[in-house]
Amino acid sequence: MKILKMNPIYFCCMVVFPLLTMLFFTTLLDSGVPQEMPVGVVDLDNTSTSRALIRRLDGFQSSHVVARYASVAEARHAMQENEIYGFLYFPKGTTDNLLSARRPKVSYYYSNVSLAAGSMVMKDLKTISTLGSAAVGQATMRAKGFTPEQIQTFLQPVRIDLHQVANPWSNYNMYLSTVFVPGVMMLFMFLISAYSLGMELKSDRGKEWLAKADGNIIVAILGKYVPQSIVFLALIFFYEFYIYHVLQFSHLGSWGYIVLLVVLQVFASIGFGIFIFGLMPSLRMSMSICSLWGVLSFSLAGSAFPVMGMDSPIQSLTWLFPLRHYYMLYQITVFNGYPLIDAWFHLVALVGFTLLPWFVVRKIKNAMLTYVYIP
Amino acid sequence: MSIFHKILHWLDDAAYVWRHELRQVLRDEGVLLFCIVVPLVYPLLYSWIYNNETIHEVPVVVVDLSHSQQSRQFIRMCDASADVRVACYAEDLDDAQSLVSRQVVKGIYYIPADFATHLNRMEQGVISVYCDMALMLTYKAIYQTAMAVSQQMGAQIQTRLSGNYTAREDLVSASPLDVEEVAMFNPQGGYGTAVLPAVLMLIIQQTLALGIGLAAGTARERNRYGDLVPIHPCYKGINRIVWGKALCYLMVYAVMSTYLTIVVPRFFSFIHMAPWQNLLALMAPYLLACVFFGMTVSCLVRYRENVILLMVFVSLPLLFLTGVSWPQSAIPGYLQGVSWLFPSTFGVRGYLRLNSMGGSIGDVSFELRCLWIQAAAYFGAACLVYGHQLRVSQRHAQERLAYLRKKREVRKLLKTKTSPSV
Repeated sequence: MKILKMNPIYFCCMVVFPLLTMLFFTTLLDSGVPQEMPVGVVDLDNTSTSRALIRRLDGFQSSHVVARYASVAEARHAMQENEIYGFLYFPKGTTDNLLSARRPKVSYYYSNVSLAAGSMVMKDLKTISTLGSAAVGQATMRAKGFTPEQIQTFLQPVRIDLHQVANPWSNYNMYLSTVFVPGVMMLFMFLISAYSLGMELKSDRGKEWLAKADGNIIVAILGKYVPQSIVFLALIFFYEFYIYHVLQFSHLGSWGYIVLLVVLQVFASIGFGIFIFGLMPSLRMSMSICSLWGVLSFSLAGSAFPVMGMDSPIQSLTWLFPLRHYYMLYQITVFNGYPLIDAWFHLVALVGFTLLPWFVVRKIKNAMLTYVYIP
Repeated sequence: MSIFHKILHWLDDAAYVWRHELRQVLRDEGVLLFCIVVPLVYPLLYSWIYNNETIHEVPVVVVDLSHSQQSRQFIRMCDASADVRVACYAEDLDDAQSLVSRQVVKGIYYIPADFATHLNRMEQGVISVYCDMALMLTYKAIYQTAMAVSQQMGAQIQTRLSGNYTAREDLVSASPLDVEEVAMFNPQGGYGTAVLPAVLMLIIQQTLALGIGLAAGTARERNRYGDLVPIHPCYKGINRIVWGKALCYLMVYAVMSTYLTIVVPRFFSFIHMAPWQNLLALMAPYLLACVFFGMTVSCLVRYRENVILLMVFVSLPLLFLTGVSWPQSAIPGYLQGVSWLFPSTFGVRGYLRLNSMGGSIGDVSFELRCLWIQAAAYFGAACLVYGHQLRVSQRHAQERLAYLRKKREVRKLLKTKTSPSV
């Protein structure tokens, strides 16, 4: 069986492409949180107050004031040309009205076309506007002789103390690389397991292959997939070591859970690939189905847009995707470190995917013995 | 032959290639699946997945140790907000944590015992918010609701403390600056509106590349010598082969891309601001670039299944490189360089700016220029690889011809040798 590893496409898909994907996502999201995103300013007021606020905005980690525009229309145009993600607008006379308690209006505009950029820029612009508002009250109260504690209490009577459990930096790398890279790996495993069976059929080696295993299809399949799963296991363990040990992604769950998760991931995906081939013993159809299934699972895993926000038919559909169960198991046991029993359903589902080929082994054997490949 | 005849002849040959390719596409179920079924069904499926756009009523658990009028007001206001629903009350944090662990709720509001005491003593009252960070959207909903409610409660307390006479004075003392928030182009902050245009454009490129690759693979396998280009008088010039094949896919995808870029957004009422003239100006170079890109890629793979392995896994990285989910300004420079190789990068950016942001052709002139350059470059590349394939198949044909001639000579020789003896 190991002779099969001579085909260069196996090497590419089992080692080179997965490594490239791992490298791609971890370097793309290396900064964790987007920084220094370009924002603009329309300052018609142009007083020391407005300029101080703009300087503060520029000082924020995630915003960088790149340009000043003469009008709102011009700033909007800059947004359409993708130069800035948002801008702050001070109308004329803002400071005058502020000091004479006439409650001037300050606006901030941001583009939600890129959601991550939009929400980051929005947060900064909102903070700046709130600070501007608070600065007035602070100055008045200080003049009246209140203590700093009193001022703080008056300006913010109820304070929210935020605890971001397990990812206190809201690091996007930890949040995306831990789901999408395993998703791509699963895609490869689906495809390769369907491909390797299909190639037997295509190059008409099926009978020979079965004869090697003395006509026992289970031995034949096990023999075929042992080397593949060893390669994938090694690869994914390397990845887990890389993200948790080298990049220091936080995980509240123990290494035991990580090992369990990796083993389940590999066997469930290979099982799913064999099952699809068993359902449709044709190389091109099974691979097409596997790839379409794999691509859909990125959306249906529910890591970016939560499953609870989808329509109920789609919610039940997500159960058919191994990546969904992988994600749930990952976030409950490894990411949050909760007990395994709370994820029992997803554990059982992944084991179920591993055992799926059981239903189709007879059909595969039949296909190997009788089917003829038609191009 | 006059130049007119030459052109006519060229067109005739290209049309033959076109027809031949189309027949092949319609006969191959793999190609049909990727070129017709996937572009028709996938957009509907994706739109359905993201149809609800945002999440509402995220379940949270409240640990209220204060049991005061203020704490109950906070809980009531959170429960009344659009994004958060108070699903349970818990005795203590451990109890609440086990609810999060069982996925019953997504976050915890913890109100300490001294919350009301602090407020009544004119000190800061602190409310702790614990979020499950596995989902960014639920975290945002839980945190932003708590912030908004705390600010509103704060404003009420401020006005009570200020001792003002008029409602206007109350307003000024609570918020001396009136702040207006304007979310442009995607006012509801919808996930589908943000991601779907990119997905639609990417579907066009990926299915085209897959379809062309599969069709080329089939052609190779059907051919006796494993050549891409069959031996036929109409297949004798590079240009006519490349244009003939491209016309076939352009024809299919003119329909498909109209459906994807115009019909689907209207079905699901996603933002659609671009008039058809602007979309045409964008889609023409995009489709050309995609077709020639697909043809170039198709010559690089030997077996037709390998194109699936190659193209499918790049889909997700390509989506990230367009700058939709991860801001373009935060993508490292060398990855931006890589992204310039793919038509989807510019296609998606251009489409977003035209259709979602209502930009004009002038706003996307850079993207359009890049797409035309890509179309030209990939056309050149496709011509080069097809030229190579053409030479290979001609060589095979000549070898075969020489072999046949030799065989005939040998047979003749044998006949002349054997006949005298008989």
